[in-house]
Order: sequence, then structure tokens, then C-alpha cells
Amino acid sequence: MGIHGLIKVIGDHSPNAIRHNEIKNYFGRKVAIDASMSIYQFLIAVRQQDGQQLTTESGETTSHLMGIFYRTIRMVEHGLKPCYVFDGKPPTLKSGELAKRLSRRKEANVNLEEAQELGDAADIDKFLRRTVKVTPEHNSECKKLLSLMGIPYVEAPCEAEAQCAVMARDGKVYAAASEDMDTLTFSSPILLRHLTFSEARKLPIDEIHLSKVLGSLDFTMNQFIDLCILLGCDYCDSIKGIGPHRANLDAKKYPIPEDWKFEEARELFLNPEVLDPKGIELKWKEPDVEGTVEYLVREKGFSEDRVRKGIDKLEKNFKIATQGRLDSFFTTLPSDPKVPSKRKNEGEKAKSTVSRPKAKRGRPRK
Amino acid sequence: MFEARLSQGSLLKKLLEAIKELVTDANFDCNETGIALQAMDNSHVALVSLLLRSEGFHPYRCDRGFSLGVNLNSLSKILKCAGNDDIITLKADDNSADSLSLCFESPSNERVSEYELKLMDIDQEHLSIPETDYDATIIMSSTEFQRICRDLMVISESVSVDVAKDAVVFSAEGEMGSGSVKLKQNPSVDKPEEQVVIELNTSVSLQFSLKYLMNFTKGTPLSDQVMLGLSENMPLLVEYKMDDAGYIRFYLAPKIGEE
Repeated sequence: MGIHGLIKVIGDHSPNAIRHNEIKNYFGRKVAIDASMSIYQFLIAVRQQDGQQLTTESGETTSHLMGIFYRTIRMVEHGLKPCYVFDGKPPTLKSGELAKRLSRRKEANVNLEEAQELGDAADIDKFLRRTVKVTPEHNSECKKLLSLMGIPYVEAPCEAEAQCAVMARDGKVYAAASEDMDTLTFSSPILLRHLTFSEARKLPIDEIHLSKVLGSLDFTMNQFIDLCILLGCDYCDSIKGIGPHRANLDAKKYPIPEDWKFEEARELFLNPEVLDPKGIELKWKEPDVEGTVEYLVREKGFSEDRVRKGIDKLEKNFKIATQGRLDSFFTTLPSDPKVPSKRKNEGEKAKSTVSRPKAKRGRPRK
Repeated sequence: MFEARLSQGSLLKKLLEAIKELVTDANFDCNETGIALQAMDNSHVALVSLLLRSEGFHPYRCDRGFSLGVNLNSLSKILKCAGNDDIITLKADDNSADSLSLCFESPSNERVSEYELKLMDIDQEHLSIPETDYDATIIMSSTEFQRICRDLMVISESVSVDVAKDAVVFSAEGEMGSGSVKLKQNPSVDKPEEQVVIELNTSVSLQFSLKYLMNFTKGTPLSDQVMLGLSENMPLLVEYKMDDAGYIRFYLAPKIGEE
């Protein structure tokens, strides 16, 4: 699952790179969403009150469709233009990680049976969630729903995060949205986290800027990739004893052990297998109302009223003129280096002597 | 050392009222020519740029350029403690300013109150705004502009502004119906605050969010007149001039139809 502890390293060493934003501030933005990650989330999070997944009468799971349908509508309502990117085949380097996940799921299955025998409701719930896996059927059902809703999707040849990242880098979309931190390692200029989370959780969206991360760590992209591999990625084993703390200190000079797939992992991050973004055309179309109703209501047993209301919102937002942004008219000036740098020095001096009481909002002067 | 004494304290109160809804935190950049502020709202749709010239203060002293990072809501609360006729003095140590001190003196000089506002570090993006010759400029009564925005808000969230040679039309269309207000060129009235002056190079038609315009019209108390600058596919400029003391300018990105 992404890069182990990277968010902590960024939070500690480069707090400026993370901005918290409300979803409504992203109107008009195109975003590429890591679909597999979101579907997995929906399967885990979208549940009934008793912790069971949502199903049709015949027992087919519908949590993922529920999630895709309503969370996409929420984004569209706020003026975003989402497009989903689905995983292709996993890279060969990931086989180790995948095997680990499989054994973890097996273990969870065993634990689940035990818990069921003992009748411990909390444990059943816990292990049930660990057995969740996104199947090809889930994916194809989501793709069908998306095309009915007029939302574009892309099928990546390999890792979806890598495809999202390359689309963001090429300017096809404003940002890549994923919970996986390795989206940054695939050099996505901007990463959005928590975009597809439930509104009820009231989590702000984290907007992470790669250039600011590199700037404040004083790393090149290659050094950053090395750091990520040291922290622990999906593609090769990490070195024992190196975690968020030491990886950051030593990434520039730590000797690379032999017979270790470091080079391959690095190459995978630098040149992942992706579709050329120039060949991708993203088109948001008017939703197929009757088709969606047919699919969700007749086949999957959703409430017709709610589905129709949802599609109404999609249709309405398809038509209205979008609000422009000043950034597209005026150019951003680089911040005046003289003034802030002086203050930073002062800040450090001040920090070492006294810590001042904090102002109510924002970052207090150091 | 930074010190600025404003005999007409109500000006600062009005200024804060005009911008605090739009931006929460901002830097006041001070130098020998005056105090400037530029900030965008969170969604980067609107920008406020204001200038208070040093000539508006008596005395004004700023030895070197520096900026005061302020939570505008807090500053506005403190300024509410000043009377409308009070003389306001701002003071800060430009070397290591961690607070801004404000002093309010009543006109008779019998009541003097002093406040200190903690400052913040705000890292803000600055935009360079090109000098634009607008396709159309309109000078009109600021209260009239405020009323038009308020009235059309009843109909819709957005307003179309169409400027032709001798008239400007504001129109809105919504679920319950439509509405429009037409103002004819009217430069020769005796009262300047009722004038409508249109200068036109090419006719323009643009669409804007009324919610933001309503926000801008909080600048109405600052000036009798407002200037609108419009160019096709460019942000709208809404300017309130405070005589010689400075100006406040709002910029708003237009709404764009589907590509």
C-alpha cells in the first residue's frame, strides 16, 4: 500500500507542501482518480448499520456501485470533472507484495472463521473487512455504471497510480487523486487525498505538491524515489532498521546492498508502463438516464427515486457554465525571496530562545 | 519603525468590512509609499487588491519594506472597538514584528484606547495583474450597482453584463423567470453620484457570479462611484476609489460556457 510512512516524512520536513482544501474549491478541475483504490474503499466503508455489505436480494454486493454513484455525483455537483483510472496487470516486481497480501487475506479468513465460532461481533466485523478484495467483476460493473453516467474512464496497462500521475504531469488533468502515496513517487505534480471519502466524515482534502516536497527536502526526483524505496514500497523489500526517520537522513549517501531489486524498483518509478496521455481523450457526456435507472434499479435493486434524483444533479451540472479561475488569466509571481528568507532566519533564532504563544488561526510566527 | 496615523479612522473600518468576507488571512505589505494588500479567495475566483497611499496618513513613517500577516476577522473585531470619528494609529516594529499595535483616539482626545493584534506568517501567492485597457469601462453610482446585484440575485446566481455604445444591461435568468436592468449613458447630470459614463472600444458580453459581486459591493460605503472594467474573456475589475487616499480593486474571473 503505497509508501510506508511517507506522509509522516512530508508532514515533518515539508509541512508547506500539504494544503487542506474543501471539495468546493476544486470546481472546474479535472482529476484522475485511482479507481481500484476507491472501489476498495467503497467495499470496506459503504456498509449497512450492522456492518454487512450492501447487496441485492440475490446476495450480489453493491457497495462499490453505491460508492461510485453517489461519490461521483457529489464531485460533479461541486463542479469537478472526475475521470477514473483502472489498474491493468500488476508489475512483476509487485508479485512479492501481492503474495503477502494474499496470505494476509487467508489469515484473515481463518481468523474470521474463528471469530464466527466464538461469535465476537467486533472481531467478525474486523476480519470481514480484511477479507475484502476487488474482483474483475466489481471493476467491470463500475465501468458499466460510469459509462452510463457519462463519466470517462481509462484502463491503465499496469498500475493505475502511475497512469494518473502521468496524466497529471501532462496537464490532461489538474491532479491525481489516490490514497496511495506512491502516486507522488510516480512524479504526479499534485496529489489529492481523501477526495472520494464520505462527506459525513468531514475530512478536508489534502493537496500535496511534489515540487514543494522536493524543494523543502532539497532532493532531486531521483533522490526522492530512492527515499521512497528505502521507506518501503510495493516493489522491493526494504532494509531493516530504516524507517521514516533514518531513510530521510541517509537517502543521499546510504550504500545500496547487493542482490536487491532496488534498480528495478527505481526504474519502475521512473519509467512505469503507461498509456501515452496524448492519446487519451477525456469526454464528459450527458448521462443516460433510462439506462442508469434500468441498471441500478431493475438489476441492482437501488431505489428509483434516489437514483433519478442523483442523475438529475448530473444532468444539471452538465449544462451550467463553469466559473473561471484567476490563475488562468493572471500569472503567479514567485514569492519575494528577500523578505521571507530574512524572517525565516529570525524565526529560527526566536525558536531557540522562547516559544511564543500561538495566534488563534493559521501558523503563528515562529 | 513603522507608524501610520489616520485621522479618518472610519476609512479603515470600512475597508476591513469590504474585504473580510472574501479573504480570511492576508499580508499588509508596507513600504515608504504606503500600505498594500493583495489576496485571493480560497477558490481563486476573486482577488482583492488595495492600496492606502502614504499621503493619506499624517504622519506616515516606514523605514523599510516589510509585511504584516493579519487574520482579517480579528483585525475587523478590534477595529469595531474604534469610534467612527476616532483617529487610528498603527504601529509595528518593522524588524521583528510579531504584533501590530492599534491606538484609537477620540476627536476630543479624552479617550485613548490601545490594542495589540498578534501577527501570523502567511505564505501567499502573488499574482501579477497586467495593466489592461478594458474593452468597456463604466462609471456609475456605487449604491445603484449594489442594488442591481441585490435585485438580480432574486432571479439567479449569475448575471450577464452586456455593454453597448450607450447603455449597459445587467440580466439574469433562473428557474422562476428572468429579469434585467438597463442603464443608459447619462453623463450630464448635476449630481456626479448619479452619473452613468460608458467608454467603449468594442461591445462586450460576459457572465459573472452574483454571489461574488454581492461580496464586492461591501465596498460601497468607501465611495459614491464605482468603476467596472470589462473585456471579453478577461476578469472583471470593480474599483472603488477613496479620493486621494487610495483604492480598492476587486477582480472576478468570468463564467465560461462549455468548451
